[in-house]
Amino acid sequence: MGKIVFAAAMSHVLDPQYYQDACGLSGRRKVEACMAEIRTMGDRFLARRPDALVVVADDHINAFSFNAVPAMCVRIGRHVERMNQEEAESFDRALEGMPERYALHEDLAARILEEGLGAGFDLAQSWEAPIDHAFLSPVMTMHGSRPVTPLVPIWVNCFIAPQPTPARCFALGQHIARVVARSPWAVGIIGTGGLSHFPELLVPRVGEADTVFDRKLVHWMETGEHEPLQTLTSTELHKTGEHEFLNWMVVLGAITPAPGDLRYFGELGRINLAAFEWRLA
Amino acid sequence: MSRYAVNSLLYRLKKDRAFRERFLADTAGALAGLDLSEEERAAFLARDMARINALGGYLHLVMSIPGLAVHITHPERE
Repeated sequence: MGKIVFAAAMSHVLDPQYYQDACGLSGRRKVEACMAEIRTMGDRFLARRPDALVVVADDHINAFSFNAVPAMCVRIGRHVERMNQEEAESFDRALEGMPERYALHEDLAARILEEGLGAGFDLAQSWEAPIDHAFLSPVMTMHGSRPVTPLVPIWVNCFIAPQPTPARCFALGQHIARVVARSPWAVGIIGTGGLSHFPELLVPRVGEADTVFDRKLVHWMETGEHEPLQTLTSTELHKTGEHEFLNWMVVLGAITPAPGDLRYFGELGRINLAAFEWRLA
Repeated sequence: MSRYAVNSLLYRLKKDRAFRERFLADTAGALAGLDLSEEERAAFLARDMARINALGGYLHLVMSIPGLAVHITHPERE
């Protein structure tokens, strides 16, 4: 019987130069401290000899154009390429120097997709979409120079309104847990992004973060109180800059009702950096 | 507001290097025929990414288009 052996969520621009450019040396120091915690989380993950790592993250309007914006999408196939952005700027530079190609866990991705459609989750599927820093920055920080665990990338539309609801993201996580339980595999799952930053996605509000709201979310996650999280609304997430918490909601659904531990929380004007790990039975 | 026209243009500016170069060389020409309001067209002509964002352009695009991105910094006190 398969099992979720590791579950975590963390910020996903793990690039000291990005935060030094935006916030000065304090930014560099805080993201380095956050990355140090994520590395030790990677050690614990790999010690459990996982077969696959499900990565739930958002697209920053890189993989999908305005041709189609899937609410939720599973990357299928045997390999996935990292995004290649010419003359990359800002957060896109976090990908520089990373390998070009990553193995996928083809069978687990196919089961999540196929059994999802059977269970009422009309997931989109992609054979070609590349993955950006939202996936690879946490994955590479967790693995370092060690071989990367076969991935199952899953996109959640966090930015292009209308987004899926937090409750629906939680339900997707519950579906993933059921698929894993019926499988033969040991699986890790991470959700990436956040915590609070870029409220309302407006330039004049870049530099604001809602620490009070973050602390409320963290308290509910630490204590395993998942009911209030499922009543969050897209409007609340938009106003507080918690758009990417939708990815965390998927992980919460996968491990509910497990409590967890905040491994890192660092307040920057730019963003509240965070790393969280759940305590699994 | 032409949400689609603004954002598909931003996306093309980010991903299509040849179009980006054309936009930088002849902005009015690159915008010709696009379904933009006067305000939106003026913001693109001024290359004012903050204004484009206020008019509906997605934040992550206006922050990451090579050579045109708005860079917002806010150094923390040590």
